[in-house]
Amino acid sequence: MARVLMKGTEAIAEAAIQAGCRYFFGYPITPQNEIPEYMSAKLPKIGGAYVQAESEVAAVNMVMGGGSTGTKIMTTSSSPGISLMSEGISYIAGCEIPAVIVNVMRGGPGLGGILPSQADYFQATKGGGNGDYRLLVMAPSTLQEAVELTQEAFDLALNYRNPVMILADGFMGQMMEAVEIKEHSGDVPDRTDWALGCMGDRGGKRSLLKSLYLKPEDLENHNIKLQEKYMRMQKEVRYEEYMMEGAEIVIAAYGTTARIARSAVDNLRERGVAVGMFRPITLYPFPQEKLRNLPPSVKKVLVVEMNMGQMLEDVQSAVCGSAPVSFFGHAGGIAPSVKEIEEKICEIRLT
Amino acid sequence: MVKGRINVLEEYCKSCGLCVAACPVQVLRISDRINSKGYRPAEQFKEGCIGCSMCATACPDAAIEIFRIED
Repeated sequence: MARVLMKGTEAIAEAAIQAGCRYFFGYPITPQNEIPEYMSAKLPKIGGAYVQAESEVAAVNMVMGGGSTGTKIMTTSSSPGISLMSEGISYIAGCEIPAVIVNVMRGGPGLGGILPSQADYFQATKGGGNGDYRLLVMAPSTLQEAVELTQEAFDLALNYRNPVMILADGFMGQMMEAVEIKEHSGDVPDRTDWALGCMGDRGGKRSLLKSLYLKPEDLENHNIKLQEKYMRMQKEVRYEEYMMEGAEIVIAAYGTTARIARSAVDNLRERGVAVGMFRPITLYPFPQEKLRNLPPSVKKVLVVEMNMGQMLEDVQSAVCGSAPVSFFGHAGGIAPSVKEIEEKICEIRLT
Repeated sequence: MVKGRINVLEEYCKSCGLCVAACPVQVLRISDRINSKGYRPAEQFKEGCIGCSMCATACPDAAIEIFRIED
């Protein structure tokens, strides 16, 4: 496929289709309405199905049902819709069912606003639903990266039998960029030993996917098994380092904020300020090892987010006192400007 | 072929019907009896239970006991 100018939401939808996703159970919410709309137009034409559920609660439970067959299933929503899906996500994780969930973040809490934010970091990485589960969370920064991560998300979901979340924001969803979306078929394991609908292929042995374990020892063993999976998942950690050579101040940012920070880094470097950027791509597993071992040149860290300080806590924990960590952010749908970040860097340079 | 039999703990049953829906061989129904709470408990009304325990798994009140009869 050639490079085409596409809107973020539509690019994510097309990427999923090119990765083999044929079933989408969703619900509209700004700023991701185009994803269910795109899916409703395209999927019936290619032998797939789109169901607009009666609510996000219904949609996520349909995802659980569909995912139980080992098929590539996806749903998308935005912040308050993800809150509604959170119980279902916990169940999906507890049953070890693969699914891809995209959160195009908007302002919160509650109904919030329709403009972008990064205020669901805690929800995504620390669990929006109940219990000891983790999602593999990936945060793209450009639309091309969103396309690639969405496609890989299906492979990861099937490999780990876990829900995988793509954390985008309203800017990314609504902007248009040139993307190249290729057909993608990843390396996925055989599903016949666990999936529903494969009883014939595993000699008539039934499969029961449930998260209910009434005997305490059984539930504890199940949780231990899940934690062992999350330990294996640590190897999927990804990050990007930008202009870190000799950096004295490091900006930690992800998603759209990282693009803005990148421009600030360029401008400041031109003025001779030794600043660099560390961009986590997986928010879970979080790249703590890298942040724990920052180069000795680093004197200060600035976390920039479109929220009131969420990834800030993970950065503080990883940096573990080896350098002071400051924060700059905006809520409400306001994006930090390049100039604001530059001014904040200059301010912390002097303190 | 595994055969089975279920026993509904009638005082715990609240007539939700999830067991009836879950049974793959449709040997369950809501009975006409009334328990002391006023609910009509579920019952196995014909032979054919395969001891799969889907009814017991689906029951939100753990009101079903399963007996498997291995040949």
